[in-house]
Amino acid sequence: MNAENVKSQMRKGTLEYCILLLLGKEPAYSSDIIQKLQEAKLIVVEGTLYPLLTRLKNDGLLSYQWIESTQGPPRKYYKMTDKGQEFLGELEAAWQELNNTIDHIKNN
Amino acid sequence: MKKTLTVNLGGTVFNIDEDAYELLEKYLSNLRIHFSKEEGAAEIMNDFEQRISELFNDRVRLGYQVITINEVEEVIKRMGKPEEIFEMTEEETGEKQQEQDSEKKTYTEDATSQNGKKRLMRDIDNKIIGGVASGIAAYLGWDVTMIRLAFIVLLFVPYLHGIVLVYLLLWLVIPAAKTATEKLEMHGENVTVENIGKTVTNGFNKATNAVDNFITDKQENGFSGSSATQTAEGSKQSQTQPSVLHNIADVFVSVFGFLLKFIAAIAAIILTPILLLVVFVLFMVTIGLLGGGAGFLYHISPFGFDLANGMPLPFMIMGCISFILLIGIPVFGLIYAICVQFLHAHPMSSGVKWTLTILWVIMLIIDIVYFTQTGIMDNWENYWNNLDSWNNSWSSLSLLF
Repeated sequence: MNAENVKSQMRKGTLEYCILLLLGKEPAYSSDIIQKLQEAKLIVVEGTLYPLLTRLKNDGLLSYQWIESTQGPPRKYYKMTDKGQEFLGELEAAWQELNNTIDHIKNN
Repeated sequence: MKKTLTVNLGGTVFNIDEDAYELLEKYLSNLRIHFSKEEGAAEIMNDFEQRISELFNDRVRLGYQVITINEVEEVIKRMGKPEEIFEMTEEETGEKQQEQDSEKKTYTEDATSQNGKKRLMRDIDNKIIGGVASGIAAYLGWDVTMIRLAFIVLLFVPYLHGIVLVYLLLWLVIPAAKTATEKLEMHGENVTVENIGKTVTNGFNKATNAVDNFITDKQENGFSGSSATQTAEGSKQSQTQPSVLHNIADVFVSVFGFLLKFIAAIAAIILTPILLLVVFVLFMVTIGLLGGGAGFLYHISPFGFDLANGMPLPFMIMGCISFILLIGIPVFGLIYAICVQFLHAHPMSSGVKWTLTILWVIMLIIDIVYFTQTGIMDNWENYWNNLDSWNNSWSSLSLLF
C-alpha cells in the first residue's frame, strides 16, 4: 500500500465531478477550466483535461461550440447538457453520501 | 546558427527550430499512439495542438520569432509528461489498473535507484535485419557487435542452424520500440520529458553524423545504449576508444547483414508461392475434416495411411486438428508478419501472440503424444517406406479436384 497511489486514485475519482461542477455554474473555455482546477490544486498538468472533456462530450454530458477569439483561432466553449445536469445531480448525491459515511466513521 | 522549419499547429503557422520540432513531434506522436485506442482520438489530439498553439502564440506575441527547444520543453512541462497524463486519464478496468499499479511501483522505485525498468524490445533504429540483436544488446547492456557476431557464429555451428528460426521467432514475438517512451524503457531509463528530449536530440545527432562519417556513426550506434545513459558505465563506455578489431567486426557484421538480407529477399520471393501452396493444402485438409468427417480424412490425410491404425476415433480427430494447428500457426504468423512488414497491417497484440505461442506448444505436445501412442515414432522408417499408402492417400486427395 502506498499513500501516493491512494491519493491519486481519489483525485482521479473526483476529477469528473469537479469538471461538471465547474461547468454547471457557467460555460467555460477549456483553458478557464484548467486554470480553475489548478487553482483548486486538483490537477497539475493540462494534458489530463483534454481526454476527459472529450470523453464527457462523447457520453453526451457536455457539448461545445466554437467561439471566435480576439487573440487567435476560434476556441472551444464547453457547456453542460441536460443529461450532464442529471448526471451531476447523481454525483452530488453520491458525494453527499460519501461525506456522510466518512463523517459517521470519524465521529463514532 | 540553426535551421528552422515552418509548421502549421492548430491552424497557426510557426517557425520552429529543427531540434524543437523533433521533440514536439515525438511528444505528440507519443500521445497520439496512446490515445489511438480511445474514441475521439483525433479530437483529443486536436485539443492538444490547439492548446500548444495558443501557448506558442503568447510567446510570439512577446516578440520571439522562433520557437526553440526551451519553449517546447516548457510547453511539455505544462501539458504534462506522457506518463502523468496517462496516469490520470486511464479508464479504470481491473487489468489495466493492476498493470498501472505495478508500473507506478517501478516508477517510484526508479526515483530512488535512478534505474528504470527494462523491457526487451527490438531496437529498430540500430537494426541490421530486424533489430533483435540490438534490442537484446540494449536489454543486457552488452555490446551489440558481440551479440551479432555470436548470432553469426552460431549460424555456422553444426546442429545450431536453427538459430535462424529462433531469430525469426524473436523478431515476431518481441515488439519494436517505436515511441520515445518505449525506447527509453528499452534502455531502462526513466520516462521523463528530459529523457524523451534526450532521445530525440540524440537521434538527431546520430542522423547528422551519419552523413559525416559512416564508420564513426556505426561505432556510435554500437554504443547507442550508453550514449543516452548517464550512468557511470555509460560514460566509461563512450570514453573508451573503439579498437581496430571492433571496427573490423562492425564492418564484417554490416557486410554479413547485407548478405543475409539479400539472401532473405531471394528466399522470400521463392518461398512465397510455396507458402501459399501450404496454406491452400491446409485449407483443403480443413475442409476435408469439416465436410467429410473423420472417416473421409482417414483416407486422404497423411494420418490415413494406417497411421491411425487401432487408435480410437476421437484421438485421431484430435491428432489431426493438432497437426493442422501445429503447421498452421507458424504459417499464419509468418504470413501475418509479412503483411505487417509490407502491407502495414496492424501488428498482432502481445496477448494474441502469446496465446498462439502457447497454443502451438500445446499442439506440439499433443502431437508428440499422439505419434508415440500410435507407435509411429518407433516405426518411423517403416511408414516413410510405405509409399503405397502414401500414393493411395494422395491419389484420393487428387480426386478432390
